[in-house]
Amino acid sequence: MPIVELEKIESTQDFAKKLENPKPWQVILAKEQTGGKGRKGDFWYSPRGGLYFSVILPKSNIDDLQTLTIISAFIIGKYIKEKFNLEPFIKLPNDVYLNGKKVAGVITENVIEAKEVKFSVMGIGINTNIARFPKDLENIATSFKIELGKKVDNEKILKQIIERIKEQLKVISE
Amino acid sequence: MGDVREIKNVRTKMKIKIGEKVYDIEISESGCGKVKIVVKGKEFLFGKEEKEISIPQVSLPKRNFLKKEILAPIDGVISEIFIKEADFVKKNQKVLTLSSMKMENELVSEFEGKIKEILVKKGQKIKKDEVLIKLI
Repeated sequence: MPIVELEKIESTQDFAKKLENPKPWQVILAKEQTGGKGRKGDFWYSPRGGLYFSVILPKSNIDDLQTLTIISAFIIGKYIKEKFNLEPFIKLPNDVYLNGKKVAGVITENVIEAKEVKFSVMGIGINTNIARFPKDLENIATSFKIELGKKVDNEKILKQIIERIKEQLKVISE
Repeated sequence: MGDVREIKNVRTKMKIKIGEKVYDIEISESGCGKVKIVVKGKEFLFGKEEKEISIPQVSLPKRNFLKKEILAPIDGVISEIFIKEADFVKKNQKVLTLSSMKMENELVSEFEGKIKEILVKKGQKIKKDEVLIKLI
């Protein structure tokens, strides 16, 4: 899978949307985001250590995209439970919590022209190796590092989650 | 005047071939400035009058292609507006974001032009096909 890895960027979503010729399943990965995006213009705190990426989705109909967005939160939740033996809580439509604190989020953005979806980008932020959060976030956000007490492999998580999303979209659009 | 009278009396029989079929037709002047064409015993009259009637009968497409309007593709809530009235926008330029179906939908302009009117505000609920932005 083609991955563009960036050290520091404002937002992987914005970068992906500006690609001249976006190819399905192309991944934009950033080690750090200065203006990470959540839904409805919310900010996603994205310091080094976390896993922040956007993936270009193949052209799909809007109902399938909505289904995929919601299912992606479940995919992340299921992955966390299976691989790390933690108890995630899915807050619909697109956030994942651990111990009552946010650990991951999904955002899907569609670019629409003349009522037609030109392309879609899904952004996923997972608080993996973040040792601590600033005061204003420490009661509402957590990370794998905090919950497990150890570092995890960001690259492996990225690849495995994208594989699961790919599989899922196949099932949805059949 | 003599010439006119002569044309009125003209009656021409001819064969015309359309595709592979051959038709015997007869063309004559019927008076009143009309031309009569007879095909297999059926008479057809052509003249100025018919021409005038036939023009409005042509149905024009309902969509006005000169109207530059950006419509809502789906129901949703306006989450951000990136342009203001009197701005000049290019084709493909993002104009607003619509939160809908748990996703953020970025609407890009299908036209190039000047923003004439923005009919929606941030936070406003809108319905599919509603006019959001008018351009000139």
